[in-house]
Amino acid sequence: MAQLPLAGIRVLDFTWVLAGPVATRILAALGAEVIKVERKSGYIAPRTGVHGDLNRDKLSIALNMSAPGAIEVAHRVVKISDLVIDNFSARVMRQWRMDYESLVKIKPDIICLSMSGFGHTGPRADYVSFGPTLQAFTGFTLNMADEKGRPAGFSYSYSDSAAGYTGAMAALFALWHRRRTGRGQFIDFAQFEGLVSLVGPSMLDMTANARPQRPQGWRSQEGPAAPHGAYRCRPRGDDDDRWLVIAARTHEEWTRLVRALGSPAWASQPQFATLYMRMRNRGELDAHIGRWTAGQQAEAAMSTLQSAGVPAGLIANAQDCCALDPQLAERGFWPALSLPEGGETKVCGIPFKLSGTPVGVRRHSSIAGESNDYVFGDLLGLSRGERDDLIEKKILWP
Amino acid sequence: MEQSVFAGLRVLDLTDQKGSLCGRILADMGADVIKVEPPGGDSARRIGPFLDDAPHPDRSLFFWFYNLNKRSLTLDLTSSKGIEVFDRLARSADLVIESSAPGRLRELGLGWDHLHEINPALILCSIAPFGQTGPRRNYQADDSVLAALGGMTYVCGYPGETPVRPLGLQAYHSGCYYAVIGIVAALFARDHDGAGQWVDLSIQEATVSAVEHLPGRYFGENDIPRRYGAMHWFRGFRVAKCRDGYVMHSISGDWNTLLEWARSDGQAEELAQPQWNEDGYRRANWERLYAILDEWVKDKNRDEMATRAQTLRLPYAAVRPLDELATDEQLAARGYFAEVEHPELGRTFRYPGAPILFGATPWRAYRRPPLIGEHTVEILGRELGMEAEELAVMSAEGVI
Repeated sequence: MAQLPLAGIRVLDFTWVLAGPVATRILAALGAEVIKVERKSGYIAPRTGVHGDLNRDKLSIALNMSAPGAIEVAHRVVKISDLVIDNFSARVMRQWRMDYESLVKIKPDIICLSMSGFGHTGPRADYVSFGPTLQAFTGFTLNMADEKGRPAGFSYSYSDSAAGYTGAMAALFALWHRRRTGRGQFIDFAQFEGLVSLVGPSMLDMTANARPQRPQGWRSQEGPAAPHGAYRCRPRGDDDDRWLVIAARTHEEWTRLVRALGSPAWASQPQFATLYMRMRNRGELDAHIGRWTAGQQAEAAMSTLQSAGVPAGLIANAQDCCALDPQLAERGFWPALSLPEGGETKVCGIPFKLSGTPVGVRRHSSIAGESNDYVFGDLLGLSRGERDDLIEKKILWP
Repeated sequence: MEQSVFAGLRVLDLTDQKGSLCGRILADMGADVIKVEPPGGDSARRIGPFLDDAPHPDRSLFFWFYNLNKRSLTLDLTSSKGIEVFDRLARSADLVIESSAPGRLRELGLGWDHLHEINPALILCSIAPFGQTGPRRNYQADDSVLAALGGMTYVCGYPGETPVRPLGLQAYHSGCYYAVIGIVAALFARDHDGAGQWVDLSIQEATVSAVEHLPGRYFGENDIPRRYGAMHWFRGFRVAKCRDGYVMHSISGDWNTLLEWARSDGQAEELAQPQWNEDGYRRANWERLYAILDEWVKDKNRDEMATRAQTLRLPYAAVRPLDELATDEQLAARGYFAEVEHPELGRTFRYPGAPILFGATPWRAYRRPPLIGEHTVEILGRELGMEAEELAVMSAEGVI
């Protein structure tokens, strides 16, 4: 079997919540050995659900960083690692002497990736933040207002997912640089700046055109389009939260759409004759389209329009994505992992395939401390007695 | 200064707006990214906003953002001469990125088998709405369709009402970041065995990957997350109206600190009752909890509120309009913006710059986005060694 791209790379993972774990789960899928540093408490995080999905493919050590002597033990793990990742605010790793300046002395080619909220410099370096607050502070929450003008934004931490893939990418850049030059480095990734970079054209519209940015609603963000919107469809059983997105830009897409709707009389009215006219009269146009979708199941309407070559997609919920989507199923995007306790769980795959290397999900997540013997025994060569001594000193959890 | 991460990496970028960010990121990291545009230019050049609202293929701010640091070559890939030239370019390239419909490249005679044969070390990255395989591979989609089928849109907005459209083409962005990851993975793999690979990226899959809770909630708890307005699904954060705007509440920080603060304002007495000490109770009774907190902050000033919260280490935030980013002091202090000169316009523009600060490897904007075909002669003539006369003929025939 082909060697995985990151075979032989070891990652010491101090991340928590979401953004960091997303980054390290990507590195694990590419073949890195990811060792998650965790605290052990009465609560045992399951191998299923959000936590299991985020931490699949990772090992776990239960190391109490606040115990005297723990830092020396952590430093020994650093010496056999290539990359240390955290997503604390800037000061935490410094307090533990796990910052780049400390670690480079004991492992000269170490790479440290910090994924803090606001970065290690600047007036807000020490701010506490989470995905929702970063989204609010950036402008997603206000500029994604609903039709009534109420702030909405994402009801989840898109910020964490985005910071996760940006962080993984940054780690890969540094690993590639080290392969070519032999040198490690410190990467100061501010999640806030990652988010700002995701509204690039709006930023240029502000800095070059000095134009205030208003919520865009369902107007197309990639060139004029009409119709372009979310249209309510017929309920599925007792679920009336069914919607279809339709996006027609070109003249061809419009004529195909009209034909797919059965060439209704309204569509040949002059106020819909050109794209410009359709945009001017979008309210009326949307009402016509909405009357059609109201009598259609979202899946069937999507299929009708796609068969005619019109861009359309149902607004998929978790069940649509995870259980009913034939495309995601066919591509094996929800791999099943067997669990040591019995049974299995499905998780989210990696969104690309390599033609020659089987990257992707391989095994379930680890319970906190599950890899203590492997890491401290097999890798560091500590005897059973030495490990018991660390447990005695409350540095390791049993 | 150390050399850039991808110095010496030669990239042919055939993408339109779906995939352009991928090449932009590689170019920022030092790769030589050649945008291969059809005569008339990449379709993204026709997408606004435009500089001073004057539509023109060289004034699209949309194109500018996604194509900073690239060079541009025009080439008609529907002509046999165009294919011949592309073949020559591909022989010395490390990477081809494309976002055309699945099968289109093969129709042109530039499929993976062909590229792999003429240059076994070449990596091909295909960024497609649904990937290269599967029953929906030929579905038509823009970003809004992909955000919908990728599960992102359903959970944006208020319960029972029209879902809110995500801002900023996040389906494409998720696709492009993951494409870069796939490309670097392929570079590592090539380092092992010398062979290039085909990276098959699905934008829909990248989009689902970026909705934090959907798969875990569905597979783990059989739960279908809905829309919760301006509240985070785990109920730890919600937007509240204050005197001069909005703030974001957080009950994810230290509860006693928050409670003491509210009570020191003479508010939220009800929350002193012992049942509120329990996190589970608070999340279960979120409607009452946020109603009390909303009452507390309604006459407060947004920025004072957020600043005070930070001194207490509570993760509250000002809910700001996008406009405030342009003058944001944190971005300015960290040198986030890049001043990029456009000599043909006699102006300099502030671009969103480096989202990542590398200690050893720079991420720095240095070259404004290319005009259509700006580097055609430089690349085909000087670098590929084609004669002036041949270029003149190709130009007359509309190939370049």
